[in-house]
Amino acid sequence: MPNPITANRRHYEDLALGEVIELAPTTVTKQMIFDFAREFDPLPFHLDEAAANASLLRGLASSGWQTLGLTLARLSAGFLNSIASEGGLGFTDLKWKRPNMVDDTISGTATISALRRSKSRPASGIITLDLDVRNQRCESIMTMQLANLITVRHPERMPMHELPYDSPSGHEGAQP
Amino acid sequence: MTRWFEDVNAGEVFPLGDHTFTRDAIIAYAKIYDPQYFHIDPEAAKLGPFGGLVASGAQTAMVGQRMMVDALFAEADRLRAAGEEPGVGGPSPGGGKIEFKAPVRPGDTLTYSLTTLGKRVSASIPGWGVLSNQITATNQRGELVYRAVFASFLKLRAA
Repeated sequence: MPNPITANRRHYEDLALGEVIELAPTTVTKQMIFDFAREFDPLPFHLDEAAANASLLRGLASSGWQTLGLTLARLSAGFLNSIASEGGLGFTDLKWKRPNMVDDTISGTATISALRRSKSRPASGIITLDLDVRNQRCESIMTMQLANLITVRHPERMPMHELPYDSPSGHEGAQP
Repeated sequence: MTRWFEDVNAGEVFPLGDHTFTRDAIIAYAKIYDPQYFHIDPEAAKLGPFGGLVASGAQTAMVGQRMMVDALFAEADRLRAAGEEPGVGGPSPGGGKIEFKAPVRPGDTLTYSLTTLGKRVSASIPGWGVLSNQITATNQRGELVYRAVFASFLKLRAA
């Protein structure tokens, strides 16, 4: 039975390699940095400006995990909620290249860099996105790849590609 | 773990403790950071790929970071109580592979663990070393649900 929630969204067949998704800008304030750090990353250099100035970051900056969270929030709202997403498999090559300093504005792009069928889930495909997050000076502050499952609308019409993905990673335990 | 670089041994395993993911915490996190229907809407989630609400994979990672930081502080306290000066950690430059292996459902309790896989002296930042750390989380049935390998800076005592 088709999933009524995602029936009218884009499916695996509707996506193309090279598509670029723009991620809307986010400005990270001092309050946001403190609030996130208190909950998930309470290191002194994310909670205290004197400690931040004395740290390798040379000033108050968001937790890298916060930069990641804010990026995924934009990706979910701006893209994953418009496709027949079946959940994320994980990230690879996550690089925090520069600190995301207080009051900086980050935005970015997600580029579809791979599309392949899942071997373990015949009615699912796997989309790989290359994320590049930059600040207002166009300096790259975070890059990574993200793999997400997506429903194949007509699995019977599309032959499986023998591509070397779908290692035992993924929601192996997911049984609707 | 807030030790000096010289005092960390590759292969050492540090238990980080347990964390239970409540329905409310799953929804509250996802409303801000991952507002997909199977993370925020229990009724709609029944029709989705997991047959019910599941936590955002990133939330399992964020909780893992929190568990690790709490363990760092506990280790620093232990060292101070023993009359030793704790080491100094720094920010992480990133991670290699971060995998969400199985869904996390409301009420699931994850047991987190940290293993130092390797260490090297930083070539770019004098006085600092870099650890390769792995965090894993297993659920109450012993299934691996999360595994991540990432780097962390740690100061050299000799610096």
